[in-house]
This record gives sequence, structure tokens and C-alpha cells, in this order.
Amino acid sequence: MTDTAAARTAPDRAAVHAWLQAYGVYVGVAVLLLFNIAFTDHFLSAENFRTQAVQVAPILIVALGMALAIGSEGIDLSVGSVMALSTSLVALYLGYGPWIALLAAVLGGVAVGMVNGSLIAFVGVQPIVATLALMVGGRGLALVLLPQLKDVRDPGMRALGSGDVLGVPYPVLIAVALVAVVAFTVRRTTFGRQLLAIGDSRPAARLAGLPVRRVLVYVYIASGALAAVAGFLATARLQASDPTSLGTLMELSAITAVVVGGTPLSGGRVRIGGTVAGAVLIQLLTATLVKHDLPPSWTQMAQAVVIVAAVYAARERGKR
Amino acid sequence: MNPLARRLTATTALLTALALTTACAKSEDDAAGKSSGSQGGGQVAAEPTKGAKTCTIGRYGGKKLDLEKATVGFSQSEKEANPFRIAETASLKAEAKKRGVKLLSANAQSQFSKQISDVQDLISKGADLLVIAPLNSDGWEPVLKQAAAKKIPIVTVDRKINAKACDDYVSFIGSDFVEQGRRAADQMIKATGGKGKVAILLGTPGNNVTTERTEGFRDRVKQKAPGLKVVFKQTGEFAREKGQQVTEQLIQSKPDIDGIYAENDEMGLGAVNALKSAGKKAGDVKIVTVDGTRNAVQGVTDKWIHGVIESNPRFGPLAFSTLDDFTSGKKVAQTIVIKDRVYTRANAERDLSKAY
Amino acid sequence: MAEHVLSTRSLTKRFPGVLALDRVDFGVRAGEVHALIGENGAGKSTLIKVLTGVYAPDGGEVLRDGGPATFGTPLAAQQAGISTIYQEVNLVPLMSVARNLFLGREPRGRFGLIDFDRMHRESERILSEYGVRTDVRRPLGELGVGAQQMVALARAVWVDAKVVVMDEPTSSLEPREVETLFGVIRRLRDRGVAVVYVSHRLDELYAVCDAVTVLRDGRTVHTGPLQGLERLRLVSMMLGREIGEVRAEGTTKFGGDHEAASAEPVLRVDGLSVQHQLHDVSFAVRPGEVVGLGGLLGSGRTETAKSVAGALAPSAGRVTVAGARVRTGSPGAAIRAGISLLPEDRKTEGIVPGLSVRENIALAVLPRLSRAGLVSEARIDSLVGTFMERLRIKASSPHQKAGELSGGNQQKVLLARWLAAEPRVLLLDEPTRGIDVGAKAEVQKLVDELAADGLGVLLISSDLEELIEGSDRVVVLRDGAVVGELTGDEVTEDRLMEAIAAAAEEEPHLADAAPGDVRKAAAHD
Repeated sequence: MTDTAAARTAPDRAAVHAWLQAYGVYVGVAVLLLFNIAFTDHFLSAENFRTQAVQVAPILIVALGMALAIGSEGIDLSVGSVMALSTSLVALYLGYGPWIALLAAVLGGVAVGMVNGSLIAFVGVQPIVATLALMVGGRGLALVLLPQLKDVRDPGMRALGSGDVLGVPYPVLIAVALVAVVAFTVRRTTFGRQLLAIGDSRPAARLAGLPVRRVLVYVYIASGALAAVAGFLATARLQASDPTSLGTLMELSAITAVVVGGTPLSGGRVRIGGTVAGAVLIQLLTATLVKHDLPPSWTQMAQAVVIVAAVYAARERGKR
Repeated sequence: MNPLARRLTATTALLTALALTTACAKSEDDAAGKSSGSQGGGQVAAEPTKGAKTCTIGRYGGKKLDLEKATVGFSQSEKEANPFRIAETASLKAEAKKRGVKLLSANAQSQFSKQISDVQDLISKGADLLVIAPLNSDGWEPVLKQAAAKKIPIVTVDRKINAKACDDYVSFIGSDFVEQGRRAADQMIKATGGKGKVAILLGTPGNNVTTERTEGFRDRVKQKAPGLKVVFKQTGEFAREKGQQVTEQLIQSKPDIDGIYAENDEMGLGAVNALKSAGKKAGDVKIVTVDGTRNAVQGVTDKWIHGVIESNPRFGPLAFSTLDDFTSGKKVAQTIVIKDRVYTRANAERDLSKAY
Repeated sequence: MAEHVLSTRSLTKRFPGVLALDRVDFGVRAGEVHALIGENGAGKSTLIKVLTGVYAPDGGEVLRDGGPATFGTPLAAQQAGISTIYQEVNLVPLMSVARNLFLGREPRGRFGLIDFDRMHRESERILSEYGVRTDVRRPLGELGVGAQQMVALARAVWVDAKVVVMDEPTSSLEPREVETLFGVIRRLRDRGVAVVYVSHRLDELYAVCDAVTVLRDGRTVHTGPLQGLERLRLVSMMLGREIGEVRAEGTTKFGGDHEAASAEPVLRVDGLSVQHQLHDVSFAVRPGEVVGLGGLLGSGRTETAKSVAGALAPSAGRVTVAGARVRTGSPGAAIRAGISLLPEDRKTEGIVPGLSVRENIALAVLPRLSRAGLVSEARIDSLVGTFMERLRIKASSPHQKAGELSGGNQQKVLLARWLAAEPRVLLLDEPTRGIDVGAKAEVQKLVDELAADGLGVLLISSDLEELIEGSDRVVVLRDGAVVGELTGDEVTEDRLMEAIAAAAEEEPHLADAAPGDVRKAAAHD
């Protein structure tokens, strides 16, 4: 009797896990929101939401690129260093104005992405190794270009960091636009479909005649460019170029956002909505712990718990 | 080679060249006209307390020598990517040049194992004397043994090592981080009138500078101004960005905060950013920071920062005069504490040039 | 009658949208080889997976020696004496042969360290019983699939299994290896081990099995001794069709000879070589012609197909389609030239399991269905609708994941993918392996139709009957080289066997005639 009872609950548990993997992140966000509304002073204010939105923007933008990399059964560890490289390039080119500086930063990100992508697609280096090399080398290069923190004085750049359109801060606006672009790319373009097929089964995609290498190179270029934009916005926000600390551990936050959002590390699927929610979840978690003045080490442990929970949910799903 | 690969390689090379070449780069001119380096205020040792332990060459072992003809090795711990390290290295180099001493230097790039081999390298390259800015306090035994075998006098700057003074090394020159915390507390008490709520932006967790600057501040506030409550303690990891983010959260959840004690200037400047974009005015929230970088002292003249406690990185003159005294046979103190400056509205404008 | 060693009572298993097992009763006795057969999707794989603890049942129970014993994990099943040999070898390819054989039960020497010497000695002794003679220190992955299968079997037997479950163990074995396998199975039976044997090959069942259980649509439709059960009766139970029907249609539906077109070849392969694998392979396929590629496993059939399709980069030789040279080494270029390959390894090189049926079908022709990089959903829908209907693909909807389909339907999805690409030459590598009789007939019929429409077809099959009946000509390969060609009336099983055998005998003779060439080839290996 107990055997049959156990047998009956098994599929229910699997279904629960599958559901949790896909939608758990939204539950998490809802729980944190409710908790904060109930227990955090001054949480329900436009100012506060603005703060959270502005802080989450760079994480989210980097996570979008990470979602593409993970969807292709890869990973991009170099994103934090690309942010540092971006901030250095902004400092070097800000004399021409913010838009040229942005262009230089994005070109830098694209170049790193091309190196990553070429190493992975043509040389056959594992993504984790190829991007690790640039994670280390990228920040080194950033510090060569700009050995120390440099203040931003350009009024246009400062406005980007603190200004808004109809109450929506620029970084948030840009993040939302990029979410839309990436979601559209994944869902509606040949590139998006091919990316998912390659992530799911590389040999099958190759035999089906898909341009596997080209798609992979584009994935890492996109990731590099997005990280560069995030670096640009973080620079505008900080009103300084700081290659030493800008973007440190960003790769971890981005991976967490993507995985918590239900994108499996095994590739073949990209959840943009989940990634957005994942980034928001991390932000709210940090905000909650900081606002309640809990010891800083708790923040790291809380992040660890979230990752483990997400990976656990993914594992149960993968077993089926 | 695959045509796509060839095209990519070419494009990558071109892009990299384009983006990274500094030939056509055009950065903003620095309005402040930064002049980090050795000029400005050198260090002054605090009055030694009575009965403080001293050291002589007789007790340490080794023989007298003429500093002018000696070779000094300097081992820096971190990349010169922040004002403190930049000023520290520059000061030692400038002093060596001034005295005509040959200086060998090495940078450990924040890797302790590299620092150990750096020092061993300096010894084998013929350094007669060593100045070390240690990355860690522990783990120095192998190097100390090697130096002891050659009777090489060692002075450590800005951080102590866990070993016996006047036995394993000659003396330590540095700031008293606890005292810096106490003096920051004094500034905070003065600014707030000893009442209200303050927040602390902590440095990197687990770092002794963080613990000591926190301890000094907390104890002094407890003792002198019980009306001043520390209501918030979060790490900004000594970085401007983190300081800004944490302060943004702080002013949302505790809008009635009266003061912020930032354990270094960078986090303090981040806090200023956050306050500015939240629409606060200069002086609404009293900020006290530690370090004395030019940007922070500028902040004092702009009235955003109430006071800056200096942590003077210009070890050159004091380190060399200590070595000079020691090698010529004079007594030197085992622990030489620097007398750090304080920048307030009264002197900031005048002393701006002394900031690093 | 002896008690069942392993049995099920009213076993039920549901998957989203499918009732995979519907109150299945099944039992196997000690010293019995019990065949488990059924069309694809009948529930064989699911039943095996429940028996061996991979899936938990939704209802009913598994009994071990008559007592309840539903296994929660594969390990629990193993500990209860049930060993499984899957279609795909599930050992550790990077570990040595010996390590794989002894995995988890390594002989220990002093200090609890593994006694490698003893392990290697024992391994060699055990494996020689299975006809595998190899350096047991080499990684398992370097062995051929057949040899790997033998290692898996040796391991299963060696761990003192009371029940051995074999899921299509012969699908990648050569005839000689099959004989060895049967010998082992008979020895197991004599020792009192119960064997559950799953296969599509009826000959094999009659050769080695004592009893049979037929599943259809998740239900047990027949169970009993195999002896005296007519072959045709068995097929009719599997298919759920009347005997007359089966007899009328036959089990192989390839039509007779095709219009032996005298037209120019649509595909011409000249001097194709792949390092270590192919040596100077040349042949041609005319429009409307089905050319079979015969030979034993490992003779270079798959490699030939793959290098023609761009999946394998040849070191020399050229491929032309309708007179135009095709860039080798690029699947994309081959597809654009009109060459499509239905790969042998459907699961890893064909189907993209996480994508829907719809996306799988449209995969190779996405650029054609897109404008400025944007996919046209309407065009995909119409294409997918056409092919799902034409090939009678059974899926709950076009949006069902392709990985959830049965083998036969997956194969049809792949065929649809390639037909959508409008090829001029279709390379079929084992198109009917591992799919049920019904789907097999449909696939064979379709190939006939396509050839009739003027497509050039290259057919690879280990099933001699299929190869002979389906092909107009057969090119025979051995050790990576063409050794003969059968045309017209020569295309018979006997002649094909002769061609392969003759080639084997000729080898020493060849070595005398052209020592240089052969030695060169040998040096490559």
C-alpha cells in the first residue's frame, strides 16, 4: 500500500518541480515584494522603486547576453571584465561626447565577443575556458587603458546617469528596450531559432546545415556588446570610470538571474521573462537584506541559497 | 582557414585596434589638474609614547652602512590603481631619487605568493635593505629567514606583519587605524551635535583596516556621545559604486539619517553621488570619511563632506630617515605611528594641495 | 510451473497526454528468455524503465520473486539482481575497459587501493569468453560499438544478475557478434538467469527466445510460449491487423525495380577518401534510382554517406550534384546543393529533442521561410501542416516536443525536414532501424515514391532483405573501399553475401598484387 502511495505522489512531485523551475522565480519576486511591503519602512514609494529599477538595469542587460550564451549551451564569464573594459574606453573617448564613447565601448565589447566566439566556434575551446581567459585578460587590459578611477564631467553623460524621460530613468528605459529587442530576436528571427537548436543538440544542428559557427560567434558578440552597454550605463551612474571594481562578480549575478529564471544550463531554451524576473529577484534580495541591515555575509549566503534552489529545480526537471 | 574565420580574425583585429588605440582617444581634461605623487605633505611621526620599544643595529645584527651607497628593495602589495598605492610608491621612489639611493621595486598585483617571490627576488638581486608594504600579516616566515641569514634590515609600511620586531624585522611605520576611527567619530559628533542616527559604510569584510576603523569609531561614539546611534552598517567594499548603491538603499529605508561614516573616501564619494541624485542638499547628511584623497578633500570644500581623516601614504621620507638612522647606528622605534592630518572646512581649501 | 522471478501486476504509467502503460501484466521465470515485442510507442521501453527503477509507476506494482518490489532508483534494481543493457551503451567511455567492467566492485589490494594488475588480468579472461580480445587498459570509447555492447553484457552478467534486461542488444552488432551474444544468452539461461529480450528482429526472437509478450498501445495483447506461434500471427498481433492483410502487404513494402533511368547521374562521387576510414570511394546515383550501400558494420557505409553530406571532411575526392561540384566538409553547402542525409544516429544527430515537431521540420529551411532574418510563422505552419499530413506524423500537436515522439515518428519528422529542403539526392542511413513494423513499411513506401518522383536515393541498411528489395543497384564496401557492385538480377541476398565474403577472401590475394597500396591503408589504421 505504501508503495502505491509513494508511486502516486512521484509524478506530482516532478510536476511541482517543473512548475517551480519555470515559475518559481515569479513566486520568489512576489514573496519578496509582499515581505518588503509589510515589513520594510518606506518601501512603497516611487522613489524606492526607481532606485531598485536603476540598480537592476546593468545586471539585467548583462543577464540578457548571458541568457543567449547559456541558451547556446555555453556561458560567458568575461562579462564583468567587459564592463571594466567598457568603462575604461568611455573614459578614453568621452572627449568626443557620450555617444562616441558609447560606440567605442560597444566596439570593445564586440571585439571581446568575437575573440570569445572565434575561440569557441573555430578553435573548439570550451566556452567556460575561453571566456575565463578573457575574464582575467579583459580586466587587465582595462587597467592598462585606464590605470585608476577617473571622474566623469561630461554633462550629457551625467544626465544619462541621473536623468529620466517621463519619470523613467534612462538606464531603465534602455534596459527595457534591450529586453524587447532580445526577446524579439529569440522568438522571431532565424538566428533565435538556430540558436535554440544549436543549444539543444549541436550535432543535429550541424547536420541540418545550420551555420553553427556563425551563430555561436554572434551569440558571444551579442553578450559582449550588451555587457559593454551595461558598463557604459554603470559609468554614467557612478559618474566615474572605475576599471578596478566596476562589474566585479557581475558574471555570477548574471548567471544566477538566468538560471533562477528557468533557463536550463544545458541549453536549448532561453527564458527572457524569467531572466528579467531573476535579475529583479537578486536585486530585491540584496535590497531586503541591506534595508534590514543584516550582516553583509548574509547577502552572499542568500544568493547561494537561491542558486542552489534553482539548480535543484532544474535537476529534477532534467531527470525526466 | 575557413573564410568566415579569416573574416572574423581580420575584423577582430581591426576592431580591437580601433577601440583600444589610444592614438585617437580623447579623454576629458581633468578640471582639477590632478597632481598625485610625492609633493604635498610628507609624513610626520607621532610623538613616541614614553617607554616605547626601540631597536638598534647592534641588537638586530648586521653591520652599519652608508645609506647613500646602499641598494633598497621595495615590495608593493597591490597594483597602483588607487590613489593610496599610487602615492605610496611615488613617495618612496621620489625620496630614493632625492637621496640618490638605488631603489629596486616590485609589485605583487594582490597575490601573496607573488609578493613572497618578489621579496626573494629583491634579496637575490642584491638589496641591502628592504621596505615592504605587506599584502597579508601572516605567512612571512620563509622570507624573514632568508633576510635574517643575510642580516638585511626590513621596514614594513602601512601594515604590520606577525613576527618579532627588532628580531625578524626592524620597525613598522604606519597609521593607527583604530585612532583614525576615533578621530572620525570626533568629527561626526561635532557635526551632528552628538545626537541622531548614523550609518557606517564598512570596508571589505574580513580586512583588518575595516575592523579597526569600525572599532575605533564605535567605541568613541559609545563613550563620548551616547545619543548618537549607529542604525545601519553595510559594506561598500571600499568601492565607490558599492558605496553609492548601499547609500541609495539607505536613504530610501531610513530617510531621517543624520550622518554617514564611510571607511574610505571612495565609498564616501559614492554616498555623495547617491545623496545628490536623491535630491538632497550639501550638508543635509553629514559625511565623514577616511583617507584624504584629493577628490574627498575637494568634497569638503564643496561642503558635501564634513570631514576627512587622513591616512597618509607618503612613507618615503619617514621610511628612509628610519633606515638612515638605523644603519648609521642610531636608535629607532619599533613601531612608528604616523600623525595623520584631518581636513575640515577650516583647512580644506588651504591644504587641498597636500591631499593625494 | 516455476514462480516468476520478476513480474508486474496491473502496471500503469502516464506521461503528459499519453497513457504509456495501461494495467500491464508481465512475468519472466528463471531460466527463461522472454521476448518483449511491440511496435514503437507500444510501451516496451517504458515497461523496461519501470522494471529497472528509472521511472516510478503511477499504478500497479513490480514484484520480485512474488513479493512487492517497486524500485525507486536504478541502483535499487541493480541491488535486487536486475541488470540492464540498453540500446545505447551506458558505460563510461573515458574510463578503461577494465574499469568499466569492474566499476563499483574493483578488486582491492593493500590499503584499500585498487589492484590494477588483478583487475586487468581478470578483465582479459572474462572478455575473452565474449569474443572480445583487446587491450583492457584502453578507454572503452575507443572500442567499436559491438565490443562495447559485449563489455556491457559481460559486466551485467559478471555482477551476478538474476534478471538481465536487454533492450535491442543486437542493433549495432555484426552477425558474428550476434552469434556470440546468443551463445552468452543461452549460457545465462542454462544457469537459471531470467532474460528479458527486446528486439524488432523476428529471426532473432525465434533463434533465442522461449516465451513472448506482445504489447500494443500500452496493453498486453498476448503472452505465452514462443514455440508453435506462427510468425505471421505474431506480426498481426503487434500491428493489430488481420493475418490476411499482413500477408497481402508483406512485411517489406519496397516496390520492385525502379525505372532504371539512363539519365545523367544526379550524384557523382569520385575518389572520396577520409583519413583512416575511406579509400578512394567512387559511385554514381541517377535520378529515380535507389542505390544500396552494402557491407558489414564498419565497412565505411556511414562514413561515405557522411562525407558526401559534408558532415565529415574528406582528405581527397570530389562530390558533384548534376554536374556542379559541391564544397566538401560543409553540411550547409551540401544541403544547398540538394544533398540531404538522414543520419544513422537519429537521437543525437537528427532530432533536436527540446524543440517542437514544428521547429524540427522547419529547421533546415529556416532561411528560406524568413524575410530579412525574420521568421514567417504562416509559411512554417503551412509547410509543417503539409508534411505532417503527408507523412502521417502522429503527435499531439505540431508543438509537442520532438523528443517525446516514438522512434518511428521521429524518423518521419526527420524525413519531413529533409523533404522540405527539396533535395535532389537523399542519403538514408539505416532509415528503419529501431522503428516499428508499421512505420517501417510507411518509410519504405515513401522512399519508393520519392524515387519514382525522380529523386536519387542512397540506401544504407543492415537489414539485408530491406537492402535487396529496396535497391536497384548495390555498391559493396569493405574496409572503406568499394569492392564490388551488383546490378539487375544480381541484386539478391545470396549474391550480396557472396560479394562481401568474396571480398574478404580476396584480401590476401590483393595484398600480393598491390602490396604498396594495402600496406599504406593498413598503416593508416
